[in-house]
Amino acid sequence: MSDTKNKHDVIMVGAGPAALSAAIYTTREDIDTLLLEKGVPGGLAAVTDMVDNYPGFPDGIEGLTLAANLQKQAERFGAVIDFAEVSSLKDEGEWKKLETTSGDMYAKVVLIATGSDYKKLGVPGEAKYYARGVHYCATCDGAFYRDKRLVVVGGGNSAVQEAMFLTRFATHIDLMVRSKMRASEVLQQELQKFVDDGKITVHLATTTDEIVGDEAKVLKVVGTDTKAGKQVEIETDGVFVFVGLKPNNEFLNGQIDSDEIGLLKTDENLMSNIPGVFVAGDIRSGATMQVASAVGEGATAALKIREYLEGHHDIQLEA
Amino acid sequence: MVKNITIFTTKTCAYCPMVKKYLAAKGFTYDEINLDDEPHRRQEALAISGAMTVPVTVVTRQDESQHIVVGYNLAKLAPAIA
Repeated sequence: MSDTKNKHDVIMVGAGPAALSAAIYTTREDIDTLLLEKGVPGGLAAVTDMVDNYPGFPDGIEGLTLAANLQKQAERFGAVIDFAEVSSLKDEGEWKKLETTSGDMYAKVVLIATGSDYKKLGVPGEAKYYARGVHYCATCDGAFYRDKRLVVVGGGNSAVQEAMFLTRFATHIDLMVRSKMRASEVLQQELQKFVDDGKITVHLATTTDEIVGDEAKVLKVVGTDTKAGKQVEIETDGVFVFVGLKPNNEFLNGQIDSDEIGLLKTDENLMSNIPGVFVAGDIRSGATMQVASAVGEGATAALKIREYLEGHHDIQLEA
Repeated sequence: MVKNITIFTTKTCAYCPMVKKYLAAKGFTYDEINLDDEPHRRQEALAISGAMTVPVTVVTRQDESQHIVVGYNLAKLAPAIA
C-alpha cells in the first residue's frame, strides 16, 4: 500500500461540472476529496462559448466563467485538483487503486465523472487536416477564421451554439445537418436570426462525406443531399465538427457495466456494479448531457457517497 | 535554462489560462500575445506551430533553442521548461 498522502476518502476521476459539484458537497462535510483531471476543469462546459440554459443566470453565462466559478467554489471548501490522467482502476475491496500519471493512488470511494468528448466524423480528410482546417473547439480555434468561410457539421445544441459563436469571426457559415435539426427550439429560433441575416445557411438532410484540400489547407467539403440524391460541394476555409459525444471510458477496460454506446450503468444510488465506485454526469447511462443535470447528479452522488462511507463500518470518515 | 516564454492565446480559449496557471505555479513569467487583440499575429502563431489553434507556447532556452507546445499538453510543456 502507498503512503498516506496517496490515500483519500474519495477520488473523483474528472473535474467537470458533475465532479466539481460533488466535491463542493463532500468537502463541505470534511470528506477528504481529490479530483484527477487530464484536461481542463469544467470539461466540455469550459470550452463552450455560452451556457444559456443553466438555471440562475438569466442572461446565460460563459462556459469558461461557469467552470472557473465551480472550481473556485469546490476549492474554497478544500477540494484538491491534481492534473493527472488515470490509466486503470482496480477494486481491491476496501480500497480502490487508481494508476495515474501522478503515481498510484487509493480511495475508499471513486466517483467516475469523466464525461465525454466530441466525436469524430470519420470521413476522409478529417485526420489529415486536424488543427489545420478541421477543429472541435470553436472557442479555441475560431479566431483563426476571421473574415473566412466556415462549415459547421452537426444539428444538435452544440453545433448550433458554436455556429452562432463562429459568426463573430467568419463571414459566412454553412451548417451541415445529416438528417434534421435536434437543437432545442429556443436555439433554433435564435439560429433563424442568423439565417435571416445571411450569416448562416442550413443544409438539412446533407451528409458530410469528405474534407478536401491541398497540401496547406482545407478547400471544400463534399457531401450528399440525401433528399435530392445528389452530391454537394461547399467551398470553405475550415470545418468545425460537433456531431455528438464519445464517452471517456477507455481506462476502465470494460470492468464497469455499460450500455450499447459505452455509457456506464448505475443503480438508483448512482453506484456501479463495483461497490464503492459511483458514476455521475455525461458518462452515466441515462444522462441527459446537460450541465444542469450533471451538477444535480454530482450533488446526488456526493450524498450517496456519504451514506456509503457511513454505512460501511469498516470504512470510517476521518473527519 | 529557460530564457523566455511566449504564449499565443485568445480570450475565449479554456486551455489558455491552464497553461498560464501552470507556468505561474512553476515560477515562470511569460509574454502573452492575445490573438483577439492582435489578430494580425495569427499567421505568426500558425507558422510557428503548424496548427490553427491556441494556446501555443514558445519556450526559448538560453542556447536559443525553441520548444513549441501546442495546446495544454503537460507531457510536452513540463520537459520544455525543465
